[in-house]
Amino acid sequence: MTAARLNADGGGAPLLSIRRLSKIFDEVPVVDRVDLEMTQGEIVMVIGPSGAGKSTLLRCINRIEVPSEGEVLLEGINMAGEMRNGKLVADPPKAAARKRRRIGMVFQRFNLFAHLTALDNVAIGPHRVLGTKLTDARALAAEQLARVRLSDHVMKRPAQLSGGQQQRVAIARAMAMRPALMLFDEPTSALDPELVGEVLEVIRSLAEGGMTMIVVTHEMQFAREVGTRVLFMDSGRVLLDAPPDGFFASQHARAREFLRRVHAFSAA
Amino acid sequence: MGGFDWGAIWYAAPYMAKGALVTLQISACAMALATAIGLVLGLISVSDLNLLKPPVRVYVYFIRGTPALVQIFLVYFALPRIGLELSAFWSGVVALAFNSAGFIAEIVRAGLQSIDSGQSEAAFSIGMTVRQSILFILLPQSLRRITPPLTNEVITLVKTSSLLSVISIFELTRSAQVIIAERFVPFELYFALAVYYLVVITLLSWCSEYIEARLA
Repeated sequence: MTAARLNADGGGAPLLSIRRLSKIFDEVPVVDRVDLEMTQGEIVMVIGPSGAGKSTLLRCINRIEVPSEGEVLLEGINMAGEMRNGKLVADPPKAAARKRRRIGMVFQRFNLFAHLTALDNVAIGPHRVLGTKLTDARALAAEQLARVRLSDHVMKRPAQLSGGQQQRVAIARAMAMRPALMLFDEPTSALDPELVGEVLEVIRSLAEGGMTMIVVTHEMQFAREVGTRVLFMDSGRVLLDAPPDGFFASQHARAREFLRRVHAFSAA
Repeated sequence: MGGFDWGAIWYAAPYMAKGALVTLQISACAMALATAIGLVLGLISVSDLNLLKPPVRVYVYFIRGTPALVQIFLVYFALPRIGLELSAFWSGVVALAFNSAGFIAEIVRAGLQSIDSGQSEAAFSIGMTVRQSILFILLPQSLRRITPPLTNEVITLVKTSSLLSVISIFELTRSAQVIIAERFVPFELYFALAVYYLVVITLLSWCSEYIEARLA
């Protein structure tokens, strides 16, 4: 919290700073020396072919996947551990979990807690993690669900909701923790086409509310309209980091090739 | 019915009813203890308590790899040596509970691990620790999956309790054997014994089905 305020006052200090982040599986660098700096309110769209390392990048940022190399600083705080006598000492599990609260994540397959109602899916974080009283946590959850226009469905279980509704609950669940940064991992890729719009609308409204976010997406129109920056990834590398208009007009060969395929697909 | 002495069954009924009651008491006590121990061992198996995992593995390895009869003798003869003077009844409860706990630990572990990994990832993403994710997310979801194998385990436990006749606990099997020795009617009474066990286990299965339906 204090760090966030410092950023707002200090002007230009990065909210998120990623340096030479790599994730190596079986000697294959799935994420390869990625650098990224983001200031408050930036919306980074990550685009690229499947297998480019986009999802792994997100998962390394909140350490659901432990990076092989490099570092992630959120609000100036190293997500991996504390520096002591010039050496990085890894966080004990509790401290790691505490840092992770500051980063919200929305998954491709929603991953709502199957045994809980929509309301309790959102309330359980504030209640169990932040220690808010259950009644207060549920009130907060109801508020968050109203924001994603799900007030009529609060008592339903995930199985009783459509994919679009489930994903909106998942967004409310992440937002209830009041994160400094939101990660979206292909939030509409598992949805029926007619349900994509409602989820993108919610993400757009968060963006307009000033939320800092990284969105891995295949929705090019959405990336262009909502993003403040586009990262193009292939084979684990960030090949382009440009404003949307710059990216979509780019002459970069691999990016052109990718866009040509995407457009051929959507035209078909 | 030629050479059969079915009257012996009526003669044995009061004794066997008493034996059945003891079997139920032992099984209930052992199951309660076994579930508690097994749940803890199963939770440890999927937790981040890495120091405690190898002992749990060794325990499960030992229980699975040795006959229940041997375990019963070990408990019965070992406990007094370490200064624990338990009655035969409680030795039996402890032996059965230790045996069953090893299997329940595996049932619980498998139940927890069968939950989609996306559930734990979502739990971590809102800042839960491994332990919180197990208690609040994985365990509640695995209860329903755990119930059917747990029922099997209860049934096995009730049947294994017949081995306690060897440490002279007057449970169901022992009660039948006493009458057999007295009247020499082995077939009739072992037949009756089978029916008694079937009745007990049928009742338990109904309880389990009820619980499973409630957890649905």
